[in-house]
Amino acid sequence: MIIKVQNLVKRYGDLLALDHFNLEIEKGEVFGLLGPNGSGKTTAINCMLSLLKFDKGTIHIFDRNMSPDAYDIKRDIGVVMQNVAVFNELTVLENIQYFCGLYITDKTKRNQLVDEAIDFVGLGDYKKFYPKKLSGGLLRRLNIACGIAHKPKLIFFDEPTVAVDPQSRNNILQGILKLNREGATIVYTSHYMEEVEQICSRIAIIDKGKTLATGTKDELKAMVKAGEKITVELYSDNDLNGALIEKISNLPHVTDVSLNGNLLTVRCTGGRHNLIRVLDTLKDSGLTFGRVYSEPPTLNDVFLEITGKELRD
Amino acid sequence: MFLFLYLKRLKCLRRDRDTVFWTLLFPILLATLFYIAFGNLLKQDESFSAINTAVVNNDSYQQNKAFQQALKSASTGEDRLLNLSVLTAQEAKQKLSKGEIDGVITVSDSITLDVRGSGLKQSVLKAFLDQYIETEKITSAILAANPSAAKQGLFNSLIDRQTFTKEITLSGANPDTLLNYFYALIAMACLYGSYWGMRNSTDIQPNLSALGARRSIAPTHKLTSVVSDLLASLTIHFAQILILLCYLAFVLKIDFGSRFGYVVLTCFMGSVTGISYGTFVGYACKKSERIKSAILIGISMFLSFLAGLMFVDMKYIIAKHVPVLSYFNPAALITDAFYSLYVYESLNRYFLNICILGTISVLLAFVSYLFVRRQRYASI
Repeated sequence: MIIKVQNLVKRYGDLLALDHFNLEIEKGEVFGLLGPNGSGKTTAINCMLSLLKFDKGTIHIFDRNMSPDAYDIKRDIGVVMQNVAVFNELTVLENIQYFCGLYITDKTKRNQLVDEAIDFVGLGDYKKFYPKKLSGGLLRRLNIACGIAHKPKLIFFDEPTVAVDPQSRNNILQGILKLNREGATIVYTSHYMEEVEQICSRIAIIDKGKTLATGTKDELKAMVKAGEKITVELYSDNDLNGALIEKISNLPHVTDVSLNGNLLTVRCTGGRHNLIRVLDTLKDSGLTFGRVYSEPPTLNDVFLEITGKELRD
Repeated sequence: MFLFLYLKRLKCLRRDRDTVFWTLLFPILLATLFYIAFGNLLKQDESFSAINTAVVNNDSYQQNKAFQQALKSASTGEDRLLNLSVLTAQEAKQKLSKGEIDGVITVSDSITLDVRGSGLKQSVLKAFLDQYIETEKITSAILAANPSAAKQGLFNSLIDRQTFTKEITLSGANPDTLLNYFYALIAMACLYGSYWGMRNSTDIQPNLSALGARRSIAPTHKLTSVVSDLLASLTIHFAQILILLCYLAFVLKIDFGSRFGYVVLTCFMGSVTGISYGTFVGYACKKSERIKSAILIGISMFLSFLAGLMFVDMKYIIAKHVPVLSYFNPAALITDAFYSLYVYESLNRYFLNICILGTISVLLAFVSYLFVRRQRYASI
């Protein structure tokens, strides 16, 4: 077990930030902590890193108790913070050298790792640039390079893609997967469910400091009633009456039917032929339609069903 | 590891332009303004130049041999008082109106002086003539009473000018109260080292900066990080104070006396105290960086004010009415250390100041370390 957190309780005055929070992460996983802003993701990570005091619970990393002076544990941990943490007075190269130097004392090895980190994040052309001269995306890449240059076994990414353009975001996500392939265990926090779905092998859904559910994305989706979501764009001259809506509602696996303007939305539980059955019903009734979408359930649907609110609320 | 951290930190701080401005350029700018404001008062080597004077060549002058002799004495030799020209009344008037001479002496029934404008030279001329006229009156009175007085040598003491006191300092330097302004300026610059101290504390505490968080996560012992940061900031700040000192001593020609080694030691201790003070405020005060900066500036300026930065007598007022305050005010201690070196031959008072500065620094540094040691935060 790489990380084992048991019954972690953390209070900020009257606010219960972590409420008997539990977590287990295995070696080689890309583990996602998914939850809305303020759900306790960053607090949990800061407690795991011994930056924050906590009121109750235990934290073990690499099967050892984590504490502020557990340097042997810290040596194998890398952290990419939500906020960019670099020296504005040092160049890209000097920043990476500095943070790598906090872990690696051998100069030759350090220089080699720094070069690899620069190649990894694609900052080769910006080695002599100061952080203030870098764009937001490049700055995020520098932040990542500083966190991973020493080749840690366990890397925490705390919302690394906030305020990043789509291209840089994709680069960052691909980079994280590459680090994982090279052997690092990843803990990734985000409130972007698409990112978590894209890269995480296991996910914990967090809200109000509690772990609500843990599993692979398929396991999480299987936990909820919400399945396929079918959206049909009806032509405006169609006459969709109440009898037809009821007919669709009575189809197998259909749980909910709603009409919003000319968009008909049908929600179904797991089933193989839901889309065909809905379209056949519409055709049989003589209705014409344009675009049709079929979406599998998302983590937002899972979150919605568990908490009764949207992930982005 | 320590050397690596120290050198990188040195590079980092050296490039911090904002702080370099306040800790180096601002004191140099202020010193220059002081120098301009005090102007000639500081120029101790300014020599007196002889006064261009004309005497009107008329019968009365030609007959007054005693006055001719007096003028001759005053206008000959290296240290002469006058550059004397004997001119007609018309020529003298023209030269005076053109400003080529400072005064015209006319001998008639009495001796009169014509000047154009007022100033030091005109005052000296008047004093010279007044003194001559007074001496002439006394001489006439003595001769009227005792015609043989000249033979008895009674006039020797009358014309002899003796000075019985000489103003010197024990260290051999020229006493000058204006110097205290520059001492207080160095003290202020030393206390501005608190900026470096505060930056150190900000960059190492996870609850104050993301950098602090990243550094706290690393497997580096806290003491190693703290000490390397402290030494790097001390190196930078002490170098800045030495630059300021050299600027004052060699460019502005401010007199620091002859004991330059002790002057440098004072600067070093001042620098240590300034950085310790900033580090302490950085750790102890839980407010934002902006508020902390305001606190540092406010306290530094106030302590420097008490040490005589804006009003030189303030130092003596505090020493007289609240002497204990001078022992807790680092700016006053630094200023007094310079003053002691300058004025006293004994180093007792100097070392008392240095020891108190050292004690204050050690206390501040120790309390600061207690704040950061094995720290986990309630919130970040």
